[in-house]
Amino acid sequence: MKAQTVRKPILFILLATVLVSMPFYASPYTITTFIRIFYFGLLSLSVGMLIGQLGVVSMAQTAFFAMGAYVLGLIGFERGFPSPWADIIGIVFTLVAAFLFGMISMRTRDMVFMMITLAFGQVLWSLGTQNTSLLHGWLGIVGIRPHTIFGIDFNIQRNFYWASLLIFIICLALYWILIHTPFGLALNGVRDNPRRMASLGYPVYWLKVVFFVISAFFASLGGIMMFYNTGIISPSAMHMSRTSWILLCVILGGANYFWGPVIGTTIAVWFEVLVSQITMRYNTIIGIVFVLVVLFSPSGILGIANSWWKRKNRKSKNQINTTQNV
Amino acid sequence: MNRKLLSLLSLLMIVSMLLSAVPAFAADDNEIRIGIISGFTGVFASFGNMQRTGYEMALEEVNYQVAGKTIKIIEEDDQLNNEMAITKTKKLLEQDKIHILTGMVSGDEGLAVGDFMKDKNIPVVVMYSASEDMTMRAATPNVIRPTWTGAQPMDVFGCFVAKELGYKRIYHIGEDYSYPYNQLGGFKRGFCRCGGEEVKTVWHPSGGVDDFSSIVAAIPTDQGYDAVLYNGAGSDALGFVTAYVELGMMDKLPLLGQSNTFEQSDLPNMPKEVEGLYSGHLYAESLPTPQMKEWRARYEEKYNRIPAAAAEFAYSSMRLIIRALEATNGDTDPAKLIAAMKKVDLTDDPRGPVYIDEYNAAVQNVYIRQVQVDDQGRLYNQGLYTVEKVSQFGPYDPDVYLAQPPDTGDYPKDKCSDMPAEMLTVDKDYEFIPW
Repeated sequence: MKAQTVRKPILFILLATVLVSMPFYASPYTITTFIRIFYFGLLSLSVGMLIGQLGVVSMAQTAFFAMGAYVLGLIGFERGFPSPWADIIGIVFTLVAAFLFGMISMRTRDMVFMMITLAFGQVLWSLGTQNTSLLHGWLGIVGIRPHTIFGIDFNIQRNFYWASLLIFIICLALYWILIHTPFGLALNGVRDNPRRMASLGYPVYWLKVVFFVISAFFASLGGIMMFYNTGIISPSAMHMSRTSWILLCVILGGANYFWGPVIGTTIAVWFEVLVSQITMRYNTIIGIVFVLVVLFSPSGILGIANSWWKRKNRKSKNQINTTQNV
Repeated sequence: MNRKLLSLLSLLMIVSMLLSAVPAFAADDNEIRIGIISGFTGVFASFGNMQRTGYEMALEEVNYQVAGKTIKIIEEDDQLNNEMAITKTKKLLEQDKIHILTGMVSGDEGLAVGDFMKDKNIPVVVMYSASEDMTMRAATPNVIRPTWTGAQPMDVFGCFVAKELGYKRIYHIGEDYSYPYNQLGGFKRGFCRCGGEEVKTVWHPSGGVDDFSSIVAAIPTDQGYDAVLYNGAGSDALGFVTAYVELGMMDKLPLLGQSNTFEQSDLPNMPKEVEGLYSGHLYAESLPTPQMKEWRARYEEKYNRIPAAAAEFAYSSMRLIIRALEATNGDTDPAKLIAAMKKVDLTDDPRGPVYIDEYNAAVQNVYIRQVQVDDQGRLYNQGLYTVEKVSQFGPYDPDVYLAQPPDTGDYPKDKCSDMPAEMLTVDKDYEFIPW
């Protein structure tokens, strides 16, 4: 037991060193890929937290992902609204939209919730593709570049990488803290037995709405990071294929685990990068892998790891028990 | 957090980095790497694959060798998704360390990639993307387009429709995105300048319509329109033209096409009734010059089909790259390459002589074409008239043209009387030379 508690911080420090010092030894494309993992990681976190903590599958998160970026593009990039405020307005706009939509959608459950969020996402996607006067249709908003803040030029890849890493870690920490507060525990109660929670006096409905808004915050932050990184926000960011892809990332990692969405996204993005070097039909191969994972382990890769670990532990525990009995 | 998860996470990151830290291509000085980004799958897959046939031909002519160096081609498919196009472009720059970027099939794709590349010091050669601002209002020194803008052939075609066919009022239906806007903008300017009165404009979402019969049925046949202009390509064009024929509209109102509507990428799948329809392009497969005949014979022998403009444009663009590399003797310094590209002689191009102007855009012939059936029963575009040396500004002075707002879905206006006076008169208009 003691060895574990010592090894845990060492592993953390090791991982942090590897990530922070990456720009000094890894290729630029590796850095780009990790930046993508960070912003898609935020998106999958927003999907995964709803599944893991609240037990609902939302198909609207990609719409929130794109919404903040679109608002930033419209007022900040195209109309010259100054930098930190345009970003904040973009996020606040998304939060307000998520609040209003959450008030409607959280009245439903399970399949109906999934369908209503799907419809919401598709409506916004159609708006994005068909509105050409304001949102420029398929093309989207093109041309934004990261700013220079306090003399640090975030147009330089390594600076942008460190900023993304910092935001990503802060968000993960926030999420970690959140689910260990009484609020987070109440959410788990709502997930497992909403009626009992209601009878205990918890405002079940508002808990769900507030959590939905928090998930939208992570999504829109990820969307804005993507917008700065690629310089473009287009309807394809909220296309159905993106929605299902991110859902699969979450399931691949293990939706019920804290690290599930992050690990799922990391694997999915890297897998895509590596397979696309071999064949142009990489989506087919990725699809097959997804099917296999879901078929053999519905709780994802972490589920496999977990059951494997448990079995090993049980074995050693049994051994101890038998020796004790003797 | 469990220790096992942490170790799994760190293991994952370390493995992935080890995999990527090994560069896919060792920096080889004797190799010229050309990145090609295009839509090889997706809505315009027919155009993307036509492109591939074209540049492969140009590369095989030199056996993938130039100035003693090997040319390495790295293809990336963006599925016509702009965001994917940027991610793939980043991959080409950062991982493959390309010297030249080329490809691009749709207008939006070109705008997105062009914008991304404007502060990267790498020559970009645009093969098919035709949104005019890439070489106009958003022109950057490292972007060269030896091909076309949407308005370039359509300005000529609009003038032809008004002057030679004598139409006064046109009913237009088009795909709602940047390239058709630019095609229509050119058409309206040419049409109004040469005596037209009105182009009624209707848009439909691109790639989002499965059944065109309701759109076709909504075309008014009793309001005095002289013709219908369909401004779309690919699977949309197939769907529209088929519905137009099936609903018996051919007898009521003549159909006109934009440049890509009757292209060889889709023409073989169209109904035979399209015979006799007009369009304007910078390319006509029936051009009777020795260069075209020789090239087309080689192409048909290799690929067993009639080449489309997308194939010729890709061939021509790749030849521009090869010749520029020959001129610099294999030196891939961006400034030297761009300077060499501007000086390359393309007067022996299969589609006719091509010149690069000071905006890095092409000045070239425009052909008025009519769909006809050849002796093997195949549909093809027969040239009727040639207009020589058309620039991306048409017959206008560049300063006058650039003072106008860019073409959008509702600009220029439908009525010719709303068009600014300076766009209705030019010093010297086109001369249509019959074939």
